[in-house]
Amino acid sequence: MSINVFEKRALLMAVASVGVSLTLIGYATWGMGINVPTCITLGAKPFQQASVTKHDGKNYEVHYVARMWAFEPSVLRVPTGSTLDIYAVTKDVTHGLLIAGTNVNLMLVPGAIANSRVHFSKPGIYSIVCHEFCGINHQNMFARIEVSDQIADYSVEGLPGSEGAKLLDAKGCLACHSIDGTASVGPTFKGAWGAQVKLSDGSTRTLDAAYFLEKVRNPSANTVSGYPAVMPEVPLTDDEINEMEAYLEGLEN
Amino acid sequence: MELQENLKRIILAELLVPLALFVFGAYHGVLQVMYLAGVIRANSFAGIDYYQGLTAHGVINAIVLTTFFAVALGYTVISQELKAHVSIAGAAISLALMLAGTAMTAAMIFLGKASVLYTFYPPLMAHPLFYVGLVLFIVGSWVPMWTWIPVYLRWRKENKGQNTPMGVVGILATFIVWQMCTLPVAFEVLVQLLPWSMGWTSGVNVMLSRTLFWFFGHPLVYFWLLPTYVLYYTMLPRLAGGKLFSDFAGRFTFMALILLSCPLGLHHQFADPGISTTSKGIQGILTLLVAVPSLLTAFTLAASLEFAARRRGGKGLFGWWNKLPYFDPENWLFPYLFCGLVIFLFGGITGIVNASYSMNNVVHNTAWIPAHFHLTVAGPIFLGILGGSLLIVTGLLKKPVVSGAMAMIVPYVWMAGTFVFSAGFFIGGLRGEPRRTNLGLTYMNPASPSYRPDWYVPAHLGMVGGCIMGLAVLLYFIVLIRSLVAAPNAAQAPFALPTSEPYHNENVAAVHNFAPWVAVAVLLCIAAYWVPISNIVKYGSSNAPGFRPDSPAAVDTTH
Repeated sequence: MSINVFEKRALLMAVASVGVSLTLIGYATWGMGINVPTCITLGAKPFQQASVTKHDGKNYEVHYVARMWAFEPSVLRVPTGSTLDIYAVTKDVTHGLLIAGTNVNLMLVPGAIANSRVHFSKPGIYSIVCHEFCGINHQNMFARIEVSDQIADYSVEGLPGSEGAKLLDAKGCLACHSIDGTASVGPTFKGAWGAQVKLSDGSTRTLDAAYFLEKVRNPSANTVSGYPAVMPEVPLTDDEINEMEAYLEGLEN
Repeated sequence: MELQENLKRIILAELLVPLALFVFGAYHGVLQVMYLAGVIRANSFAGIDYYQGLTAHGVINAIVLTTFFAVALGYTVISQELKAHVSIAGAAISLALMLAGTAMTAAMIFLGKASVLYTFYPPLMAHPLFYVGLVLFIVGSWVPMWTWIPVYLRWRKENKGQNTPMGVVGILATFIVWQMCTLPVAFEVLVQLLPWSMGWTSGVNVMLSRTLFWFFGHPLVYFWLLPTYVLYYTMLPRLAGGKLFSDFAGRFTFMALILLSCPLGLHHQFADPGISTTSKGIQGILTLLVAVPSLLTAFTLAASLEFAARRRGGKGLFGWWNKLPYFDPENWLFPYLFCGLVIFLFGGITGIVNASYSMNNVVHNTAWIPAHFHLTVAGPIFLGILGGSLLIVTGLLKKPVVSGAMAMIVPYVWMAGTFVFSAGFFIGGLRGEPRRTNLGLTYMNPASPSYRPDWYVPAHLGMVGGCIMGLAVLLYFIVLIRSLVAAPNAAQAPFALPTSEPYHNENVAAVHNFAPWVAVAVLLCIAAYWVPISNIVKYGSSNAPGFRPDSPAAVDTTH
């Protein structure tokens, strides 16, 4: 009927060892501040555009966009001692984002935003690895962060659309079209891509690549209802138009 | 009592068909370690794509082989221990459904229509028949338990006051866990993925799919483990020449695993967005509690081995270790269970690392994970399946094991292989090496901008270990085939699994009734999953379109 004394001790030791483990985990989590990632963004629409924003000092906010089979941005250079707030989304299937040698280890799941923070106290090249199978070129999906004592501020490669933003500014588009929803001479770009617009001739068009090209090439036609037909002809190459489109597409929100 | 003749045929099919498929599973295991080391630097080899082979490796080895073995062992134990006939019709329907499901799923994988790995995470989309095959397989595996329950209840009625045989408790626990955990994944496949792959729905809630999958995916691990625990608790002490140290420990372990198998799947999703740290933390605590039955099992089995060794004349604090039948060709089954236990020590310790909440940030989805589970599912569980299958197949066919010495060597070779393999993968994982990735093309390629020279040694260790494991499989199949073609000995006694007597037979009432354990298990599942699942259903978007693994353009299923 009664349990053997050694067995009782073994049971007690088992329970005690679980208690010790839980205590240590609690210390790591709250005492040392190493938690698992969480970001309750279900219900909010994930961003579409990768970006790097400098806050104060060496604090950066980096928005990574993962897609089959690349990370945007592909290369990020920051000075030693930088702290990065990382937000990451996927545009297609589930991806992973691991920064080797750090505690950043995220699943990028469609419909949600993943979040982590990392501080780089040592210079070096840190591999960013996609660690969830995402199709036949999964092994080609990587990026890197270069941390260096030699630079004062960040620089970045492989941010599609970032050229587009510069171009819209340089070519004067932003004089009449805002990107933040503000009313101006022309309709705002914010949330415009992919949306239906009513034209002054009563017809309806979707703002897509075809309409955008027509409007740029022949600005006096196809004017949006309620706005003056004053858009000038701006000479743009096809590449420049593509860059602008890539940027505008990301402005969905 | 001898098993029914038709049941014998069904059990033989349940053991031999998956073993035949396993030949490919093992072949691609060896190929994978070569891809990873960059020895094969290609997308495919001999007509099989890396990820296609990886999918087959996972589905065959981790789902088909394990589930068939659980069913076959279940029929053997239930018939033998309850001395009763079971429903042959039920067994035949179960076998037919599972074979049809296996054939359908395997066909889709080998045709290259389902290279989505065995976790089949959406929005990667497989051919609809892949999902149909999975459902048939799972439903087929549900049938046996429901035909055993009436047999068990009749036995209880006719044997009032007697303890249910340990093996029966273990087998019923196995299939109770299986029944509980497969319901969510059946829902995922039938309600979410199948209609979506047919083009009837345009999108899927990926977070819900992942959560339902891991509701299933972790108890799956215990479903693999429980049949091996049956072998450990019923056979190992006998094979060692002793008794089971504690009857209570076995029953408590089986009940505790019913209780703790399901409400902790979120520890596979520690890195996921959209689930709060509170929900993750609660399931993290529940995960660690599994250490209690595991450590009690470690104690009981070690104590049983010590009891046997002292009976054989073993002396001293540690000297008794020399007296166990490590190298006895007549007792070739002992090392399958013993080596499994040794491997499992390391599998268990590294499992505690995985379960340790914030530690997951370091190891999640790295090569550390396959290193760990090749010390569990490919350690004690796989050796239990190999040893158990050889025992039952030759026993039912009344054939000799040819040769016992070679059969005895297999687990030692396998153990050496898993240790080398896992050492490589553990080190690689800690250095950031991702799992499930064709490393040879990029990370293990000096010409690639992502080349990681510090992963070179771990990946090659992994390859050496994987090849040793392949050698063990080769030796095993030589024994199996030679035994199958040997002449049967009609005079051999009817087959029976060896069973152990208890040394301490503590009669603790709390572990003699399934009902309260199952009821609390269901309540725990609801408590642990109510908040995360209702949040995901309420706020999660369910409009993710499907993607084929070979194209970044979403699948158009509208035509």
